[in-house]
Amino acid sequence: MTDTAPTAADQPTDPPLWSPSPSGSVSTWLKKNLFRSRLDGVVTVVAGTIILIAGFRFLRFVFVTGRWQIVRENLSLYLTGSWPEEHLWRLVVVVVGLALIAGFIGGFSAGRIDDDPSRAVSLAGRDRLVDLGSRLWPLVVTVALLLALTTTIGPLLVAAGAIVAAVAGNMAGRAVPGGMSAVPVVVGVLFLTLAGIWLLNAGLSWNSWGGMVLNLSLATISIALCFPIGVLLALARRSEYPILRWLSTGYIELFRGVPLIGLLLMANVALGFFIPNSLAPGKVVRAIVIFVLFTSAYIAEIVRGGLQSVPPGQIEAGKANGLTPIPIITRIVLPQAIRNVIPALVGQFISLFKDTTLAGAAMGLTDLLGGAEASTAQADFRGQGLIAETLVFVLLIFWAGSYTMSRESQRLETKLGVGER
Amino acid sequence: MTSMSKLLALLLAIVLAAGACTSSTTDNANTDSAAPADDAGETSDEGEPSDDADTEEEVVQLVQDEGGTLDAVLAAGVVRCGTRDALPGFAVLQNDGTHEGFDNDFCRAIAAAVLGDADAVEFIDLETADRFTALQSGEIDVLVRNTTWTASRDGGEGATFLQPNFYDGQGMMVAADSGIASVSDMDGTVVCVASGTTTEGNVANEFARLGIDGEVLSFESTDLIQEAFIAGRCDGWSSDVSQLSGLRSAFPDGPDSLTILPDVFSKEPLAPAVRDGDTAWAQAVNWAVFATIQAEEFGITSANVDDFLTSENPSILTFLGVEVDGATLDPGLGLPVDANYQVISQVGNYGEIFDTHIAPLGLARGENALWFDGGLLYAPPYR
Repeated sequence: MTDTAPTAADQPTDPPLWSPSPSGSVSTWLKKNLFRSRLDGVVTVVAGTIILIAGFRFLRFVFVTGRWQIVRENLSLYLTGSWPEEHLWRLVVVVVGLALIAGFIGGFSAGRIDDDPSRAVSLAGRDRLVDLGSRLWPLVVTVALLLALTTTIGPLLVAAGAIVAAVAGNMAGRAVPGGMSAVPVVVGVLFLTLAGIWLLNAGLSWNSWGGMVLNLSLATISIALCFPIGVLLALARRSEYPILRWLSTGYIELFRGVPLIGLLLMANVALGFFIPNSLAPGKVVRAIVIFVLFTSAYIAEIVRGGLQSVPPGQIEAGKANGLTPIPIITRIVLPQAIRNVIPALVGQFISLFKDTTLAGAAMGLTDLLGGAEASTAQADFRGQGLIAETLVFVLLIFWAGSYTMSRESQRLETKLGVGER
Repeated sequence: MTSMSKLLALLLAIVLAAGACTSSTTDNANTDSAAPADDAGETSDEGEPSDDADTEEEVVQLVQDEGGTLDAVLAAGVVRCGTRDALPGFAVLQNDGTHEGFDNDFCRAIAAAVLGDADAVEFIDLETADRFTALQSGEIDVLVRNTTWTASRDGGEGATFLQPNFYDGQGMMVAADSGIASVSDMDGTVVCVASGTTTEGNVANEFARLGIDGEVLSFESTDLIQEAFIAGRCDGWSSDVSQLSGLRSAFPDGPDSLTILPDVFSKEPLAPAVRDGDTAWAQAVNWAVFATIQAEEFGITSANVDDFLTSENPSILTFLGVEVDGATLDPGLGLPVDANYQVISQVGNYGEIFDTHIAPLGLARGENALWFDGGLLYAPPYR
């Protein structure tokens, strides 16, 4: 559940709570950190034993006793749900297209930084590969695992195509002249994203979305929509106009005060009591609307915290320079405010990504978790207690996605110098 | 002041954009429902409610929502069927994304009867707690979800239950070497059940009726009961007989290590349900179910149905929608004349559906045999 309140930006400059003394031997380190007192020793032994046993049993389960046939045979159900086979090419096009866009953005921003002599951190080709590997290893490992589990050649070709597309996009992005503004790129990416959604949906009902594709789409679309809305709500809550303030406050307090799963259930089964079913949008759209309504309230409070952290002197300095209010907000206040709350924002986005499983549970959409549950009832697998295997697989996928988001946000923080200025 | 007015303008722009998004989703919904309606208008010779001006469309839709599910289904070209994704034998999502199971096949039979296409079904996975709300709010057209027909559900849930497609009952499973031959032998034993069902109360009632003492342990999931049972924490395992058979057939130590006692101590007729006050749709669903039963009574299967089109028996010809004495029978149920033929050829008769999905659970026909075989299945005559 998305209940964790936004916290202030972590300060990476804080001194670490403990660190191995660089000069001491292993035994002094052990003594200092794990066996400082008699109580410490008891806690270390008891906790260490429990952790070791649990870890051993988990590893034994994963590598020895786990029966992974259920995952292997249901891979397409887990990843794409009930997606019709004759429409799979749409997914392939979108995956390759996404890789192209991601590569292009990466190359474009890297190219711009390289052109700026003060910020140039250009790496040689090999170092760049290592850098990319260290950043994206959870994704790489997961994709490699998925490819190892598949029985057909198709996914391998798709993965190869995606890599080629990413590299091509990267080179194209770097080739863009440095002086060019980012606006056409942003517009182009937005347009391509909408085209991708249209392509996924043309001739298919929203309800045929399923599996991991559904979780990822729900999360991506909801994050893209809830962020601007949340920022506007935060600005409105600090507005001088009482009506804006009341509306925004009312909205935020309403949606922060109700449980997400309750909203999803309402949207699923009770919408028909309010508007005619023929006018109601499909379930996926409903889920997106609920996620956006709910998360934008949290985003608004996080961003408001960021806004409060910007000293009033900044605004006054802008005014003194003759800037009008909108540039003051968009060029002075918001960049600083949002930079300060990146960890909390990303935390909220990760939370949203994981909460997409609630849409599966509450709305009867067959998402990754729903597919995993369904597979344990199939004739070949039922009654054998295989839920553990399927859950481990589901958790791995979510962990890979969430951890990658977290790593990338940390990288962004370092780049922007959060906590250093 | 000007600064704030500009901020206001920005906000307004966003609100407008958000509004545009909302209206575009409604537009989608409109076109979704309008396009099939046009198709239906072209192909069907019955007088469909014609597409009126835009202003009246909403009114027509509202009326459909309150009453004519049959018309709404014909217009949409798809039956929205509330089922499960993970109920062994009855409704299971397969690894290729298709839905297979006993309940799923009855959804297909309804679609075949009403729309002539067994694949024109949208399966909607419902949790136990949501199923009646989904029916009431119009989220689904029909509920075929292993649901017991009881008086209070029929009266209080806004649902009308129809011809049961499966007669189930609560039973008791014990270890084969336990020496227990019937529930009356179970004095002082522990019975494990799934929580949140009527199973728990039924066991207690049965123990009280027999005048014996016993403990009832509730568990969240079937897997947990299985573990407890294997660990020896439970002497008996109680659930619907269909469920017990499925669990027994897949038991790790083999089905022979378990025995299902002959006692059946509750009646669980599982029946499709539709919204109250919608007679036309209820009849359509009912006769789709009867078609599967009647076909088995006649001995018609999906494999041999075409041979029966030239049958000598006028009852069979009438049932299959073939002309008899220069006329076909339209009983006025709102179904196409060849509805029964479509059900049998695309889905099969009751026995075929049972053999495909329920027999592998290790369950005999029992009450679900035809009436002349000692079961409870009986279709009213089609004439």
